[in-house]
This record gives sequence, structure tokens and C-alpha cells, in this order.
Amino acid sequence: MLIDKGYTKVRPLAGGLDGWLDAGYPADVIA
Amino acid sequence: MQRRSLPINRYPTCAFTLQYHSRVHSLVHYVLVYGVSLIFINVLLEQLGAPVPAVPALIVAGALSRDGKMSSTNILLAAIAASLIADYMWFLLGRRYGYRILRTLCRISLSPDSCVRDTEARFERWGLKSLLIAKFIPGFSTVAPPLAGASGRGTLAFVAYDGIGALIWAGAAVAAGRAFHRAIDRVLAALENLGGWALVVIGCLLAVLIAVKWAQRIHFLKQLRLARIEPHELKAMFDRGEVPIVLDVRTTGARKHNPRAIPNAIIAHMDDVATQLGDLAPHTEVVLYCT
Repeated sequence: MLIDKGYTKVRPLAGGLDGWLDAGYPADVIA
Repeated sequence: MQRRSLPINRYPTCAFTLQYHSRVHSLVHYVLVYGVSLIFINVLLEQLGAPVPAVPALIVAGALSRDGKMSSTNILLAAIAASLIADYMWFLLGRRYGYRILRTLCRISLSPDSCVRDTEARFERWGLKSLLIAKFIPGFSTVAPPLAGASGRGTLAFVAYDGIGALIWAGAAVAAGRAFHRAIDRVLAALENLGGWALVVIGCLLAVLIAVKWAQRIHFLKQLRLARIEPHELKAMFDRGEVPIVLDVRTTGARKHNPRAIPNAIIAHMDDVATQLGDLAPHTEVVLYCT
């Protein structure tokens, strides 16, 4: 959808938020 | 005067013909005798995630029931029971492991992973009522039960909606078989003429179907692999001061389940994410996550 709108550098994050958290990186708490 | 039977091995052509016809009749006989069990196994495997479509079998069973050779009640009961068993198993797994179970599902299912995100949004919009038509939507029927479990839906309500959905789905296929029983009888007659080759034909068709789905999945994953960014790469960008736009496009349910986000991520909805980005330059790097 974003690529169709003309955005050329769209990259999914491998593993999603779980992958980020599993790597031990900090995350914000959503209100 | 006693009739003497001729020794069969003196007439090899007759022997072959007799054996050929007996094998054909055995095949049809086994289908009629074990048909309900075959339906049960087929539906169970399909609902567990295996690429063995059950609708063709249900349609054929419907045609055979129209001819009085099988009981449509038994067919429907077998299909509903198998469906409930498989779906309830996924429901419990969803309840136990949460949204993470969807990743396991994507690994074993041949449906393109993109359908998981769409089905999440669909389930979120319609709730348990979506189970009434889930089996008619490719990919949705496999993902909806674990989603129902992961989102904390009640067991009785799940079983009720899923059971009714299975009845509607199996009933539609059986009704189609009954409606088109003459055409299906002709196909079955053609298959009977093929004899043992009928199994080869059916096996080849199934193999082609699996191969096509597998190729679609491989292509999809290859594209995803080329485009994706690893967490350590994203972290390195943050450390260098490069700040891409990070979009959290998870469903509301997924965010409630895990109320955290990558620092500075923008909460966005998949339906209007492009609108939310506004007048951002097209060459801006965008990183998104939906799980």
C-alpha cells in the first residue's frame, strides 16, 4: 500500500515488536 | 451335469479384466463404506492447517447422498465434529500462547503471511460473528480460532459460533453436491473408468495445488526477506542518529495484549497509514511492524 503511494524504502521489522524485545532493546509503554 | 470352471490362468486377458473391474468396484465400495471417516479426516487435516481442501470431498459426498448412497446427516456431523476439534485446539493454543501462535501458524500454513494481518483486522471488526463465515474466506478459517483464543473470547460462545459456522460451510458444500449430483456422477463414472489411475490423477492434482501454494509462499517470503530490517540494524540506525519513520501497525487487540512500542514509533492503522504519513517525502525510510 505504501509502495503504491510512492514510498520507495518500506521495510518490515524482522520478528516485529517481539523480535525487538527479544534482542533486549528498550520499548516505550503505550498509554 | 456339473459345469466346469475354466482355469483362469489360461486366459490372461480375462483374468486381467476380472481383476481390473474388481479393483474398481473395491475402490467405489471403500469410498462408500469409509466415506464418512474420510470426510472427518479430510476436514480435520484442513482445519489443522494442512493443504488438503475438504470442499471437493464434501461436494462429492453430497452428490452420493443425493443418490442415496451416503447419509447427508452423517456427512454433516462428521464435518462439524472434525472442524470443532481442530478449531478448538487452535483456540486453546491461542489462549495459551497469545498472538505468538500466529507466527507458528504462518510457518506451517501455506497461505501467504499477508492474510494474517488482514484476518486480524477482520476479526477485530466483527468479533466471534466472523466465525459464521470464516470458512468461506481463504486463510481466515485457520487464523480466526487462535485469534479468538488470544483475544480472550469465551469458550462456550466460541464453540457455538464455530459450530454454526461449520454447519453453514459443510451444509453449503453438501447442498452444492446434491444440486449438481448428475454432473458429479459423470465425473465419478469417468474416474471409475480410470480405475487405479484415478488415485494417480487425484494425487497429481493435489501435488500441483500444494506446489503452487508453496511457490507463492516462497516468493512472498523471499520478497519479505529482501526488504526487511533486523532489530540490530534498526538499533544501529538509532545509535547513529538516523531516525527512520517507525510505524506500529498492529491491531488494537494486539496492542492491548502487549502495550509497548518501539521508541518514537507512530501508532498507525493499516487502512489509512498512507494518509497518516501526510506529506512525507517518498524517499523517507519507513520501518513498520504488525506483530
